[in-house]
Amino acid sequence: MARGVTRAFGGHVALHPTDLDLGPGGVIGLLGPNGSGKSTLLRVLTGLVRPDRGEAWVDGIALSGDGTAIRRRATYAPGELALYTEMRADEHLAWLLRGRDAGALPRARATAEALGLPLRARVRTFSHGMKRQLVFAAALAPDVPVRILDEPTEGLDPTKRGAVLDLLSEDARRGTTVLLSSHHLGEVDRACDRLVFLSGGKKIADETAESVTRRARRYVRLQFAGGSDGARVAATLQRVAPTANVRTESSPSGSLRAGVVLDVDDPRAFLSAAMSEGSLPRPETIEYGQLSLAELYRELYGVEGC
Amino acid sequence: MSREFRFHVWGAIAWFVVLEALLVGAILFWPSFEENIDSLKAMAPIQVLKDMVDKLGEGGVAAYVNGQHFFKGCNTVGTLAAVVFAMGTVAGEAHRGTLEMLLARPLSRRRVLTERYVSGALAVIVPVFVSSLTIPWLLGFVDEDMPVGPLLLSSTQESALLLAVYSATFLYSCASSKPIQIAFAMLLFTIFQFSIYMIKEVTHVSLFRLTDVDTFAYIGATHALEPWKFLPLVAFSVTAFVAAQFVYARRTP
Repeated sequence: MARGVTRAFGGHVALHPTDLDLGPGGVIGLLGPNGSGKSTLLRVLTGLVRPDRGEAWVDGIALSGDGTAIRRRATYAPGELALYTEMRADEHLAWLLRGRDAGALPRARATAEALGLPLRARVRTFSHGMKRQLVFAAALAPDVPVRILDEPTEGLDPTKRGAVLDLLSEDARRGTTVLLSSHHLGEVDRACDRLVFLSGGKKIADETAESVTRRARRYVRLQFAGGSDGARVAATLQRVAPTANVRTESSPSGSLRAGVVLDVDDPRAFLSAAMSEGSLPRPETIEYGQLSLAELYRELYGVEGC
Repeated sequence: MSREFRFHVWGAIAWFVVLEALLVGAILFWPSFEENIDSLKAMAPIQVLKDMVDKLGEGGVAAYVNGQHFFKGCNTVGTLAAVVFAMGTVAGEAHRGTLEMLLARPLSRRRVLTERYVSGALAVIVPVFVSSLTIPWLLGFVDEDMPVGPLLLSSTQESALLLAVYSATFLYSCASSKPIQIAFAMLLFTIFQFSIYMIKEVTHVSLFRLTDVDTFAYIGATHALEPWKFLPLVAFSVTAFVAAQFVYARRTP
């Protein structure tokens, strides 16, 4: 849980005042493009970076001092991978798990072996993806109520990404709260129960994955020829669907795009009414019910890179 | 054995081997030195060195061993060892990008830093004591002898200086991400201190006045440390260590 957490580096505000309530249990996706403040927020929550203002609690423990008390209850896997390449993988797991419960190392070894990592090999022989899995195995092993993972699927092939997400979902089913970040919504959305979206250091959305999926299903996108009057199109669409969320924007090619989030699952009545409106230009394309979550966020919040 | 501890153990062994090799060479050279002391004095290019050769001649084998072992061996190679053992403590982790992982473990920063400090400090000073303890045995090869007590006290004084250099480097490392820059800065500082030691007009302000032949001659004569030469070094090390803890506690990955 975070209240008004803020952090700046020099003159750059990496995290504007942010509130966050998570868990207990479940997989929460912290999403946003590069530089949106995800890693800073995760580092603040694990005590690695002191907030300039605000307070944070993890599993009921307030962040204070260097955050050791929090890190005893939460594992953290950094997003930037830099390992001691001269170590063997099993030695590195032991190093990462120093201070954890006695069963953590055997569990980490088992996870690493299940992921196909050669534990007797030096880390220098590992690919980027293998290093990512090694750190993941260490973060998944301790018996803690919270796991905070920065980009746990970055650099993994689709098969390994699926395996990692399955392990996280399984862990969450046992009652663990998993907070993971990603800048690629499409990579992690299937594992997340809830999605928190950051952009420019600000939280811009926080909703259940089910609600987002439903909105994706109810999203209608219409594209009009260049030169169309955006204000008039928006007003017409809003008149046809008074309770819908309507948004228009010009595309780089000059055409006008209108996005409408309906409050019903079936868009046919809306489309029929809209097409019969004389003031609405004829759309070039109509899309509905097929948007990915990434597209939905782009349409709703104008945030690229997810 | 942890990664850092292993580095310090192997580093200490290497540092001991170099120090002992210098000591063996110096002790075996003692008879020649004693015979040729006037020629050596004539060859000394500057007054400070002439004075030093004089002092070594007048003080006998004890002054010679102190000069060779502590002033030359420990002050030069020891300073290098102190810088090497301390410079990567935090700056090396930041440079490699492993600092975040180090901080992410459920161990307090104070504990991690204290472990590293103690491990490195032992690597710096244990070889000084062990090597000093071999002096009486080595002197037997040239039919000379030295009591162990003053040697241990001299080792303590020398360790205080090396610990001060180590602590200063350690503090610098906690605030920096550039270990090579630290190494250059600290080594330039010690070279500067050696240089001013050699200039008669300013020699009294050199750090190495605290571990020179006069200092060890006093210890040999009185069997006691000079408090004003020993305690400031200890106080500096303690202050640097506390400051390092303060800096490290606020360090971001």
